[in-house]
Amino acid sequence: MKKRPVWENRIKTATALLLAGMVMLLAVLFIAMDKKEFSENENRYLAEFPSVSLEKIKSGEYMSGLESYLADHFPFRDFFMGVKTKAEMSAGKREINGIYIAKDGYLIEEYEKPENTERIGKILGSFAKELEGQEVDVRLMLVPTAVCIYEEKLPEYAPVRDQMETAEIIYGISGIKPVDCSKDLLAYKAKGELYYKTDHHWTTLGAYAGYTAYCREKGMDAVSLEEMTAQTAAEDFRGTVYSKAGDYGREGDPITIYTNPADKLTVEYMDTGETTESLYNLEYAEEKDKYSLFLDNLHSLIEITNENADSGRKLVLIKDSYANSMVPFLVRHYKKIYVFDTRYYKQGVSEFIKEQPGVTDVLLLYNMNTLDSDLGIRGVY
Amino acid sequence: MVFSSIPFLFFFLPFCLILYYIVPYEYFSVKSWKNMVLLLFSLIFYAWGEPVYILLMLFATAVDYCNGRLMERFGTTQGRRKIFLVCSVAVNLSVLAFFKYADFLIATVSGIFSIPLKPLGLGLPVGISFFTFQTMSYSIDLYRKEVPMEKNYLNYLTYVSMFPQLVAGPIVRYSVVNEELHKRKIKKEEVQEGLFRFMQGLFKKVLIANQVGALWEEIRALEAGQASVATAWLGAAAFTLQLYFDFSAYSDMAIGMGKMLGFHFPENFQYPLSAISVTDFWRRWHISLSTWFRDYVYIPLGGNRKGTGRHLRNMLIVWFLTGLWHGASWNFVLWGLYYGALLALEKYVWGKALDRLPKIIRHGYLLLIVVVGFVIFVFDDMGALGVYFSSMAGMAGNALWGKECLWYLQNYMAVLLAAALLAFPLYPWIKSRIERMGDGIRTATAVVSMAGYVLLFLVTVAFLVNDTYNPFLYFRF
Repeated sequence: MKKRPVWENRIKTATALLLAGMVMLLAVLFIAMDKKEFSENENRYLAEFPSVSLEKIKSGEYMSGLESYLADHFPFRDFFMGVKTKAEMSAGKREINGIYIAKDGYLIEEYEKPENTERIGKILGSFAKELEGQEVDVRLMLVPTAVCIYEEKLPEYAPVRDQMETAEIIYGISGIKPVDCSKDLLAYKAKGELYYKTDHHWTTLGAYAGYTAYCREKGMDAVSLEEMTAQTAAEDFRGTVYSKAGDYGREGDPITIYTNPADKLTVEYMDTGETTESLYNLEYAEEKDKYSLFLDNLHSLIEITNENADSGRKLVLIKDSYANSMVPFLVRHYKKIYVFDTRYYKQGVSEFIKEQPGVTDVLLLYNMNTLDSDLGIRGVY
Repeated sequence: MVFSSIPFLFFFLPFCLILYYIVPYEYFSVKSWKNMVLLLFSLIFYAWGEPVYILLMLFATAVDYCNGRLMERFGTTQGRRKIFLVCSVAVNLSVLAFFKYADFLIATVSGIFSIPLKPLGLGLPVGISFFTFQTMSYSIDLYRKEVPMEKNYLNYLTYVSMFPQLVAGPIVRYSVVNEELHKRKIKKEEVQEGLFRFMQGLFKKVLIANQVGALWEEIRALEAGQASVATAWLGAAAFTLQLYFDFSAYSDMAIGMGKMLGFHFPENFQYPLSAISVTDFWRRWHISLSTWFRDYVYIPLGGNRKGTGRHLRNMLIVWFLTGLWHGASWNFVLWGLYYGALLALEKYVWGKALDRLPKIIRHGYLLLIVVVGFVIFVFDDMGALGVYFSSMAGMAGNALWGKECLWYLQNYMAVLLAAALLAFPLYPWIKSRIERMGDGIRTATAVVSMAGYVLLFLVTVAFLVNDTYNPFLYFRF
């Protein structure tokens, strides 16, 4: 072997120093930088510094807590998350953290293998049984997500699991009358975007398509969109799938909201005691999680009264967040809508229905993607 | 704490190294402050993962240290020395048997005699198979008078607990580090080389092993019949690459950190996937384990010097034990015996014929054996193993080829290609070619490699920050 040239040695030393320096710099920055409590980008609270106790040390809980604290508060965390996604995408990956990098600028969440189909069917069935003998019309609406309706936008060869097959099984086990909106959604594809490109929810138009399916099943006349007033509530909504994929720099979605001038609404949030006249809280339009502007995000029970409703019927709506953007259409037809989020409402909805006179309809509405892991389902029965 | 994690990389290791470099070897009458720093950090490292079982490691090392002292004090004849050797080996094997194999034994016994016995349900202490083998090597070598006695318990504990190699090898024998343990030089060039070696291991683990591992997990999760034959083989190949890159990356990081600390650990992997026979493979795969079994079990049993019958018996014993060492489950035993049988066949049946075949065919033969072998290795449930094999053979009602295979290839092509290239000794070949070239090219290469290191480091950190899959595969060893 020849002697190493001087410059080669110098560059090697510089490389080693640079690597060691980067390690130290990031460690120092970690200690010096302010820690955020909440990640806007990921829409979650970041790990707190774990408290010390002998028990926690013995079980290793303290150490794993410290490890998540370090990962969550790492300097330039968002930058590094973006780097990872860019690196993966340039290596040919078309699925990142469970999100397909789909065509036409869509980010589409994959449909994971359902594990609790039978259990969910049984819970819903038990709930319906509780209501037997009551004068209520119970319906179940399981909404397919983008991965099903926009299958053609998925990257080539992407594996697809059939959501509606699972939905059929649940309809069957529960014995509740189904409202299948998948065909309506397919038919509405030409009219505009039915799902947000950067979020796991359906758009207001998607919700409207779902609403027409419900009206058809119930024999009601759907309000046409022309009768309502449209408003763009936000321009650059970058939602949950945007954060999960980490492919930063994509454009956000607009959020359109509709109000019917004919309605006269009172919206009472029973858990906080607040009362408003609007189904929207536009303060959320300024925040990261803009979808929360529909029905003010999470509430265990909301009571909505429409004095000008076209009937005196009363609806109990048990749902996940997909229903929040459908409620503005439903209010036309019900004098009262009780909106339950069974993740937070623990007193039993069937009890409520029995005690509350005059409830005529019950609608259970869930999206297929989070249904399997939805903790709220257990609160239904 | 795995090496490829934020706490280790950004806090534990730098703190340890800074303190290690600052303290002198000798101050007052204490001989090695550097060893004490290393010991302190090693104990923290082990306690981080095993806050309770650290006592077990302290106990095992204390036993071997005392046995060593007693052997030197009272072992005037080999016969007497043997008493202490037997004592040490018995304690180590009992510890290993109790904490690693008790439940396996209970399950087997209750299975055979259909008596319901309750398993103990003890968690397996991390690295137990590595550190018991290390301390035993000391006792055996001392008995054979191949190493001097270690006088200082703390030095001995430093040797056994040394964090770079504590939980995933290489199995460093006392004879290899005994001199450096007492006196070593820390040279700037070696620290530098050690850092590069560590970084290479880190990149291998995070950017290759974890990625092909994720592919394997995806394919493994498919239901039988869903995976086409091509996908099943792709999965098996992905797991092979994962295990090789993960394991050899740990060894790279260990060897690199050793160099930064002034130690020279033995190489553990020599491009095993480029081997051309099973015999060749086992000279290149987990070298520190196979040489351990060779020197402490196979040769003492007589090796191949006492006739074919004895040779086959010895191979059976060694490969049964090698399999069992990897985990308390029958599939590991099966995996060991599979290799024992293949080695015997190469030795006595087709070895000579194999040598005459073109290299490429021999290589294909070896890869086929290795990939099939690791499928046995990965499934501890015999039923699941059978199902996977039937998928690979196209007997699970699955197609030969499917769209899902294209999906996986599209997503993982780049990393699979990189892995396949790096599994061959391409990097050392290029390095040696460049070293023979002119100054200009060598300097230019140094600049390119500088950019490469920085870039790969940033990408690696990005993967660590967004850590979705970073497993530690050796918790069963």
